[in-house]
Amino acid sequence: MARYGMALDYKNCINCKACEVACKEENGVLLGADKHRIWVGSNNPEGVWPNLDIASASFLPSQCQHCEQAPCEEVCPTHATYYDENGVVRVDSDKCILCSYCMNACPYDARYVDDRTVTVDKCTFCSDTRLARGETTTACQNTCPTKVRTFGDLDDPESEISILLKTRDHFSLKAHLGTKPKLFYLT
Amino acid sequence: MEVEVSRRKFLQGTVAMTVVGGVAGTGLLSAGHGEGEAPGSPRLPKSVTTKTGTGKAEEIPFLCGMCVNKCAGFARVEDGIITKLNPNPYFPKSRNMLCPRGNAGIQTTYDPDRLKYPMIRIGKRGEGKFKRVSWEEAYDAILNGTDKFKGLAQILDEEKDNRSTIAYCNGEGLSKEGFEDLVGKKLGSPNYVDEVSICLETAGGGFFATLGVYPEIDFEHADYMIILGANRAEAIITPDTMDMFKQTKGRGLKMVCIDPRFTNTAAKADKWLPVNPGTDLAYVLAMTWVVFNENLQNEAYMKKHGVGYEEYKQHILSHKYTPEWAEPICGIKAKDIYEMAREFMNAEHPIIYPGRRSIFSPNDYQLRRAMAIFQALSGNLDQKGGYIYGNPIMLPPEYVNAPIYDQAKPRFDTEGIAFPTLKSGSWIVFRNMVLEGKNPYPVRVMFMRKHNPMMSVPNTAKTRQFLEKMDLNVMIDILPSDTAMYADVILPEASYLERTSPVKAYGFLEPAIVQRKAAIEPLYETKVPEQIYKELAEKLAKPLFEISKKYDKDLQEQIKLRGEEKVFKEDGYDLADAWEMPVHEKNREIVEKVYGKKAWEILDERGVYYPHMEEYHKQLDPNDYQYYPKSKRFYSTQGDKLRVICKYDNLAKRGIDAMPTWHDEWKFSVPEGKFRLITGRHAQYTQSGTTNNAMLRDLIPTNYLWINQRVADKMGIAFGDMVEVKSEVGTVRLKAYPTEKIAPNQTFMLHGFGSESKGLELAYGNGANDAVIIKDDIEPVFGAAVMHSTNVEIRRV
Repeated sequence: MARYGMALDYKNCINCKACEVACKEENGVLLGADKHRIWVGSNNPEGVWPNLDIASASFLPSQCQHCEQAPCEEVCPTHATYYDENGVVRVDSDKCILCSYCMNACPYDARYVDDRTVTVDKCTFCSDTRLARGETTTACQNTCPTKVRTFGDLDDPESEISILLKTRDHFSLKAHLGTKPKLFYLT
Repeated sequence: MEVEVSRRKFLQGTVAMTVVGGVAGTGLLSAGHGEGEAPGSPRLPKSVTTKTGTGKAEEIPFLCGMCVNKCAGFARVEDGIITKLNPNPYFPKSRNMLCPRGNAGIQTTYDPDRLKYPMIRIGKRGEGKFKRVSWEEAYDAILNGTDKFKGLAQILDEEKDNRSTIAYCNGEGLSKEGFEDLVGKKLGSPNYVDEVSICLETAGGGFFATLGVYPEIDFEHADYMIILGANRAEAIITPDTMDMFKQTKGRGLKMVCIDPRFTNTAAKADKWLPVNPGTDLAYVLAMTWVVFNENLQNEAYMKKHGVGYEEYKQHILSHKYTPEWAEPICGIKAKDIYEMAREFMNAEHPIIYPGRRSIFSPNDYQLRRAMAIFQALSGNLDQKGGYIYGNPIMLPPEYVNAPIYDQAKPRFDTEGIAFPTLKSGSWIVFRNMVLEGKNPYPVRVMFMRKHNPMMSVPNTAKTRQFLEKMDLNVMIDILPSDTAMYADVILPEASYLERTSPVKAYGFLEPAIVQRKAAIEPLYETKVPEQIYKELAEKLAKPLFEISKKYDKDLQEQIKLRGEEKVFKEDGYDLADAWEMPVHEKNREIVEKVYGKKAWEILDERGVYYPHMEEYHKQLDPNDYQYYPKSKRFYSTQGDKLRVICKYDNLAKRGIDAMPTWHDEWKFSVPEGKFRLITGRHAQYTQSGTTNNAMLRDLIPTNYLWINQRVADKMGIAFGDMVEVKSEVGTVRLKAYPTEKIAPNQTFMLHGFGSESKGLELAYGNGANDAVIIKDDIEPVFGAAVMHSTNVEIRRV
């Protein structure tokens, strides 16, 4: 029993996409730009050459926010989407009927359809691969060149993520929606 | 329901490289995987990506082979299949990370387009018609030829044992030295060309000549950095990339990015200043002028370590390299130059980032000299937060018993070069002199390995002519590259995950020894390079010795004196004697001899070893490791012997400026209606070797032509429109990407795309090959390729 979350030191991100590849290789995610559990959002700089605004050219790594009040879970008619014992938002593909309510409800666009099972798929925090083997990091965290991510148990006051969140300012995406995301962006 | 459309299934319907003969149903591009496999076929994954399991697995230490960095990792092998590549937390250089290419290495090993068995050409050169043969038949074709091409024995006989009729090339990699041993030392060819003269030769050369080192940087303690035309967020170099971007953006390391393009590195900088291509030298000279004019330099340091320092100061001041002079040349405002020079010298640990990148302009060598001296003016050398000389970790040199061939002639590719490099020469000068008939003796054979000059050496048309001119082309590689299409004999090599490579040492701040171990057996009929070298050497040794006996008077003399058998063995004619031991065994012998049994055990298990590793290495938090405690790192190693060569008189003897000097012929100009072509890399691709990787193509489907948004609007070019790009040496077509990230008179494309080889399902015809349109200009010091001197026309088609 844990309450897993992730802190992202997003200013480290160089948009190299090592995390995306590691995720696909670890979890056997299908190829295709529209088939991904995690991604790096990027903006082109605003302005006109040579006066470009550097601050507007940002990279924001993202994925399922593993909300504590997950809209995807609320709308699922078959309880295919559920919180597992560690607070990770999961999908039971046996129960999924591809009604796609969850995909529409998710404010973070974190879900896609796996064409093999024809069900909805999303980030699992590597629960059924790495964590199931006793590893303590996700594939995306482990491989990151600039070490953007820190995964861990929010209920453990000694965990690295708990210490980071205590000592660093941070924000959540679309916090006003009240979804209580468990991804925290460090500033 | 299984609806994944595997690209492997697509292959059956595509135009593919033709392979005639061989076992039915196993074409070069066989659909193969998963279904209908014959017993004994290689273990292959059933889908492109494989979800890792929770059961039994092996973790084999490897060194990545996707680019030059050699990051360390562990390959997870489940039931004989590599399912995941994970970073190795023991290697200080790669800091427990794998980049996107490193993660995608699985797709290179399991690429269905792999060269799977030896082949010999049966069609025309470049046509891609090959016949599958056995290894023995392939070696025999190299020695004796076929009805389509001559063999080495006949050619050497006709050339009276002039071994220099053989030329060879090899791209960077851990088995490169063995290939140099085979063709250079054992077969006796001096005509070697490699990636150095199309990469960073002047950067290395300029820094070495000035400071005696091409340094590492201690970013942890640096507080100010000017990064000049190097794109470390996209062209990833370890450990630089990992270290610098943890500290930028107001977190200790202020960064100014000087680059014609707004890159991902620019996005991480505090300031981005677009410089006119090829004029960075004027900018650095002006910075230097500000320093001297305002007396900001560490005078005591330079008086102690500088050679020709006073003359350099006078040189800079008397030439009046003022920021006002530089502004119209380099396009960077004088006030910015003043500000940067002052900020730099006021910083505690400033860095002007030394590299690494290709050679962009003819003045690149002098640019590197000027940068190195500018750094020295701050005194921030050989100390915390500065340029690091570090400590080399030594492995004993390899001895190869090389025969001396009396009939072999020296290399000749020296035209227009001040300092011809004996070992690897100049690709462009060598190729062009052969094409222009300026070679003093015939060059008739090209041995090639892991190198794709059709896509890497500027002016592809000339490379094609060069390859067509040869009587015999041999290629050792893992994929059917554009260059492989011009081979007469193709020998398929094991990919980096299928082979144990010679042990390698990395020095600098935190030195370590590393070993790549085979994660799986070589797939198909591929072999590890050292085995290929050995077998080929065995095949060639006796017959070629007979030819030497016929023409080599010294050899005849020796045989008379000492007897044939003795001379053959003792004088190195037994070509295979350089590979008596398998690589893994040899690694063990070397490491145990120098560092002991325990060191070998650690290296063999973890892939990394350095003295006191067990004491020093520890995990600090989930993301960070200590490799050496700070007190044990090699921050300062030079002491009083450190020299800063400001004036280098030897250069002047060969017509090169002894001190960095600007010449107006280097001014940037583009005729109206044309664009200056610049090229570069991306984090998701290395060079042409990675553009057939399915996973990476997922991230960047093709290369686009960057063109300024406003210019594109005027020309009626929209995103995705096909455009033709024409230079004086060639024409290519690719899709347009209008953006404000580039100047109105410049254009950019990623390197490595636009393959012509039909054997590469994903890379074939995808995007454009920049080498087709880049002119074959060279810089004057080493004859290295200049990449950014080509103007092009662009039109929508």
